Amino acid sequence: MLGWWAGGVAIGVVLILAVALVQPIGVSTQYVVLDGVLLHHVLPDVASKSPYLAKTAPGWTLATYEFFFVLGIPLGALLAAMVTSRFSTRVVPSEWSKRFGSNPGHRLVWSFVGGFLLLFGARFGGGCTSGHMISGVSQLAVSSLVFSVALFASAIMTARWLYGDGRKQ
Amino acid sequence: MMLLLGLVLGAAFGAALQLSGASSHTKITRALRLKDLTIIKLIVVAIGVGLIGVHLLDLSGWANMKVKDLYLPGMIVAGLIFGVGFAVSGYCPGTALVAAAEGKPDAWVTVLGGLFGALVFAFMFPDLETILFSFGEYGPVTIHGLLGIQGSILAIPLGGFCLWLAARLPGSGGAQ
Repeated sequence: MLGWWAGGVAIGVVLILAVALVQPIGVSTQYVVLDGVLLHHVLPDVASKSPYLAKTAPGWTLATYEFFFVLGIPLGALLAAMVTSRFSTRVVPSEWSKRFGSNPGHRLVWSFVGGFLLLFGARFGGGCTSGHMISGVSQLAVSSLVFSVALFASAIMTARWLYGDGRKQ
Repeated sequence: MMLLLGLVLGAAFGAALQLSGASSHTKITRALRLKDLTIIKLIVVAIGVGLIGVHLLDLSGWANMKVKDLYLPGMIVAGLIFGVGFAVSGYCPGTALVAAAEGKPDAWVTVLGGLFGALVFAFMFPDLETILFSFGEYGPVTIHGLLGIQGSILAIPLGGFCLWLAARLPGSGGAQ
């Protein structure tokens, strides 16, 4: 287990290595790439109709540095989870069940909605926590600062409202 | 070779996120509820180290920078939508992959929701582009670029400030 200090330094060092060797880090684009490649495999005509998919997944291939970077994330996490033996198959996280009860279907539906909004927002803004907040702010990009401020303002207000913090405490 | 490099760097990133608890729904949620700022401190340290390191690389001419374009109204709307998804799911696109690797079913479903959200965006893009991206476009602007100064002059003190701030922010005070 790493504390916030060591963990933050480790993430910063990965960013510096990535910027030195290839380019800043990013995750959310690869969700589009996977969508595009899968869709092109099943329904090539439909996939080709979207200029955004065609542009984001050129050649309809997953054999790129960018995709393998994102593929490495769960791989590294799996190794780390094995070392620390931190696996969990709980469906409902504790904070959620304290507030909304332990119905797994309810949690899964909202997880899907949350994931939908995450990637819709990330593609809209051209990046996520990795690409905008860590890579972008480190480069002093104005777009990334604007995105990050809006993100945190919205996430904090939503979480406090969702978990009833204004009312109970 | 590039694929292997990607896999190794990605794995290091995923391992760092897992080991520092960034894939924990509890830690993310408590951070956003402002009850335990550990994850905020983690992000602020990462940005502080990044600011200093990336701009030192840039000074030496070794940095491969890639700054995203600014669309003023679009970027705010995007951040607001992302923030709601962050609070509802308790994950971000990267940490959902980490939590999925730890076996958490709600993270798997978050990834599926994300794939669907990205697909819907891809097919809505031509319309969104004409509505939201057509005005307020400023290109890949940076703060130091706007000020007309060398990036490291700003980035190094700011990076130091981030590290100081992370140390000063309260951690997991209060009951867990």
